[in-house]
Amino acid sequence: MKLRLTGIAALAVVAWLLPYGLNSYAIHVVDVALIFAILAIGMGLAMGIAGQINLAQVAFFGVGAYATAILTTREGYGFWPAAALAMLAAAVIGLLVALPALRVQSHYLGIVTLGLAIAFLNWITNAPIAGGAEGISAIPVPPMFGINLFSEYLYYYLEAIAFLGALAFGLFVVRAPLGRRMRAMRDDALAAGAIGAEIPLLRMTAFVLASLYGGVAGVLYAGLIRYVAPETFSLATMFLLLAMVIIGGRQSLVGCVIGAIGLFLVREELTDFATSAQLAYGAVVVLMVVFAPTGLAGVPARLRAAWRKRHPQSSARAALRPFQPFPAAPTASSSQTAILEVRGVGKRFRGLKALDDVSLTVLPGEIRGIVGPNGSGKTTLFNVISGLYKASAGQVLLDGRVVSGLPSYQLSQRGVARTFQNLRLFGNLTVRENILVALDRTRTRSIWRYALWPIGVWRQDAALKGAAAALVDRFGLIDFAHAAPRSLPYGIQRRIEIARAMAAAPRLLLLDEPAAGLNGEEVGQLADIVRSIRASGVTVVLIEHNMGLVMSLCERVTVLSHGAVIAEGTPADVVATPAVIEAYLGDTTTMADVPIQIPSEATR
Amino acid sequence: MQVFFQTLVGGLSLGAIYALVALGFSLVYRTMGLVNFAHADVVMIGAYVASTFYMSAKLPFVLAILVAIVSTGLIGVFMERVLRPLENKDFDLMLIGTIGFGIMLEAIAILVWGATGRAVPSPVKAAPLDILGVRIRTYSLVVLAIAAVATTVLILFLQRTKRGTAMQAVAMDHEAATAVGIHVGRSNAIAFAIGAGLAALAGGLAGPLLYVNPTMGASLGIKGFAAAILGGFGNIPGAILGGLAIGTIDAFAAGHFQGYSDLVTFLVFTVIIMVRPTGIFGERTVNRA
Repeated sequence: MKLRLTGIAALAVVAWLLPYGLNSYAIHVVDVALIFAILAIGMGLAMGIAGQINLAQVAFFGVGAYATAILTTREGYGFWPAAALAMLAAAVIGLLVALPALRVQSHYLGIVTLGLAIAFLNWITNAPIAGGAEGISAIPVPPMFGINLFSEYLYYYLEAIAFLGALAFGLFVVRAPLGRRMRAMRDDALAAGAIGAEIPLLRMTAFVLASLYGGVAGVLYAGLIRYVAPETFSLATMFLLLAMVIIGGRQSLVGCVIGAIGLFLVREELTDFATSAQLAYGAVVVLMVVFAPTGLAGVPARLRAAWRKRHPQSSARAALRPFQPFPAAPTASSSQTAILEVRGVGKRFRGLKALDDVSLTVLPGEIRGIVGPNGSGKTTLFNVISGLYKASAGQVLLDGRVVSGLPSYQLSQRGVARTFQNLRLFGNLTVRENILVALDRTRTRSIWRYALWPIGVWRQDAALKGAAAALVDRFGLIDFAHAAPRSLPYGIQRRIEIARAMAAAPRLLLLDEPAAGLNGEEVGQLADIVRSIRASGVTVVLIEHNMGLVMSLCERVTVLSHGAVIAEGTPADVVATPAVIEAYLGDTTTMADVPIQIPSEATR
Repeated sequence: MQVFFQTLVGGLSLGAIYALVALGFSLVYRTMGLVNFAHADVVMIGAYVASTFYMSAKLPFVLAILVAIVSTGLIGVFMERVLRPLENKDFDLMLIGTIGFGIMLEAIAILVWGATGRAVPSPVKAAPLDILGVRIRTYSLVVLAIAAVATTVLILFLQRTKRGTAMQAVAMDHEAATAVGIHVGRSNAIAFAIGAGLAALAGGLAGPLLYVNPTMGASLGIKGFAAAILGGFGNIPGAILGGLAIGTIDAFAAGHFQGYSDLVTFLVFTVIIMVRPTGIFGERTVNRA
C-alpha cells in the first residue's frame, strides 16, 4: 500500500513536470494521447467490465467533438455551455446505441454498433451542418479564468485534470457495487439476473458510461485541435482504439490507459511507416488474444502465477470449514397461504412439450423435493418459476400474486433465489465478490449517487463487505474468500452457489441438484445446511436424484415424468406409487429394486 | 415505374455480391459460431488479387478469380489455425482476433497495392440488354448467375458429400462430432477456407462494379453481414435472400436519400435486428444460444 502510494505520488510529480521537458510538438502528441486514454477508459468500461462489445466508441467521441463544434461555430454558444450540451448529446446517443444491446449480444452487438458508427460517419461526411468532408474549423479556444488555453502546454494541465478525474471515477465505479454487478453480468448474465441484477438497466448504464467518456474526449479534442473532420472518427480510429484496449488489457482500466498511451506514442514514433505500424499492431492484437487475453495488465498476475507454480508455498492448506447454522427464526405465523403456487404451467419448445399442465403448491417453511427421471422437465420447471423461461400456459404465483412473466431479476427482488445444476458462478470474480454481488439489494436506479454522493456508495460498500465476511464465515469459506471459484473443487463450488443464493436474502430457495457430484460426507453437510436454511425461515424446493437425501430431507415430494406431475405426497408414499416405479424402471417391480441413487445428469 | 425497376435491377446485382459475402459469413458462423470480422478484408484482398491477375498478368477473368479464391482460401486456413486455441472457448476474444487479422490485411493491401484504388474494366463486353426501357448490364446478369451457381454448389456440398455432412455435424454439436471421429479443427479450417474463397469470389466479381481500394471491405463486409443476419444467420438460402434484400434497400436508400444511404441502411438494419434477432427470413437453422 505504501509502495503504491509512493508510486502514485511519483507519477503525479512526473505528470506535473512533464511539459517542462517537452518541445511543442511532443506536448501536442501527449495531449492527443491523453484524449485517447480517456476514450479507452470508456471503451474498457463497456467491453472489459460490462462485457458489452462496443464498436461505436468512436461515434461517441465524434458526437462530443461535433456537437461542441456545431454549437460554438454555428449557434454561437460559449465553449463550456456547448461542451455541457455535447456531453448530454453523447449520453443520449449512448442510450440509443444501448437499445440493440437489450435484444442482442456478442457478435450481433459488435456488428450493430459498428454499423451505427458507420452511420454516424456517413452523417458527418454528408450533412451540411457538419461541414461535410471539410469538417468544421475555427472552434473557439475554451476560456478558463484568464488562463490562455491556446497554449498546448497549459491545455495539458486541463487535460491531465480531466483524465485523472475520469480515471479515478472509472476505478471507483469498477470497485463499487455497480462495477461488481457489471462484472458479474459480463461473466454470466443469466446468473446475474437470477440474483437480482437488472440486466437491461446495467447494459444501458454501461453504454451511457462509455458514451460520457467518449463525450469528454470529444469536447477536449474540439478544444485542443479546434477543428473537426470525418477522418478522425473513421473505422481506422475505431480499430486503433480497440487495439489499445485489447493490448492494454480490457478488464483493467489502468491497462486500457497504458495500452492507449503506449500504442499512440509508438504509432507516433513510427509515423513514417504508418502502414507497417498498422500491420504490426494488427499482429499484436491477434497474438494478444491467443496468448495473453488479459493484455499487458494481466502480465503481472500471470508471472505471479507462474512463480507460484515453480515455488509452491508451504503454508497451511486451505480447508473448507464447517458450516455454522443460521439463527433460527421464530416459528412462522403459520399463515397457510402458499408461498409458491404453480397453476397448470405448460412449456413448449417448438414441437417439444417440456411441461404439460404442471400444478403444485408449496407452503411456507416446507422443504419440497422434486424428483423424476432425466428429461422429465424438472429444470424447465425451475426456469419457469425463476423467470428464465416464459411459461407457454398457466401461471406462477408467489404469496398469492401472479409473478409469471416477470424477468428473473424482479423475481429475485421478490425473494426467489436459485442455484444452477451446472454451476454458474462468476468466473472472474473472487468468492467474496460472488457473494457481494448477491448481497447488494440496492436497485440500479440509485446510480445517481455515483455521480452526486460517492461517499454514500462507499459507506454502503463497507456495510456490504461486513455482511459478506459474516456469510463467508458462516459457510466455512473463509480460506477461499479471495480465490477464483474455478480453481476450487466441485463440492466447494456447490457450497459457494448456495451461499450466493442465500446472500440475496430469499424467502424461497430453489436448489437444482445440489448434491450432484458431492461425496457422501458432503451430502451430509448439505442436508444440515438445507435444514438450517429452512429453520431460518426460508422455504426450500429442491430437485434431486439422490433419493436418500430426498427421503431424509423433504416432507413432501412431487414426481415429474415427461413434463407432467405423476405423483405427490410424503417420500415413503411416493416411492411406493406404481406410476413412479414405472417411470423410473419402465415396468412395475417391487420397491426393493428401486435404486437409491440414480446417476445425475450433471455427473455424466 | 421505370425508375423503380431500374433501381431494383441495380440493387439486385449489387445484392448478389452482398449475398456471396453473406454466404461466407454464414458458412463460418454455422460451423463454428464465429463471426469473422476479417471477412470484409478478405473480400478486399480477393478483389485486389483478381484484378491484379486480370489486368496486369492478363489472365482471363475466370482464371484470375480462381487464383484469388485459392490464395484467400490459404489466408482463411492460416487465420483458423492461429485462432484455433480459442475455438469453442471465448467467442468474444475470437471476434477481436479476427478484427486484428482485418487490420493486418488492410495494411498488407496498402503495402502491396498502395493506398489509391483502381477501376477494373468489365470482362463482359456485350451491350446492355434493354427490357421495356429498363437497361440491364450483361455483367450484372453474369454476377447473378454465378451467385446462383455458387449457392447451389455449396448446398450440394453440405448435403451430399461426406465432408459437408461432417461439417453440418460439427455445427450441431462439436463434442458429439469429435466423439464420432470428426476432426473438428480440420472441419473448421475447411469452413474458413470455403468462406474466404467465397469472399474472393464476391470481391473479384465486385471489382468491375465498384472501385477496388483498401477500404472497400468495410461497407461490403458489413452489408454482407447484415444480409446474413437478415436471412437468419447460418441459413444458406436465407443469406442469398438477405443479400438481395440489403442490395435493394441500399439501392432505394441511395435513390431517395443520396449520400445518406449508409445511414438509412444501417438504421433500418438495426431496427430489424431489434424486432427480429433471428432474421426476417425465418429461424436460425443452427441454434447457438
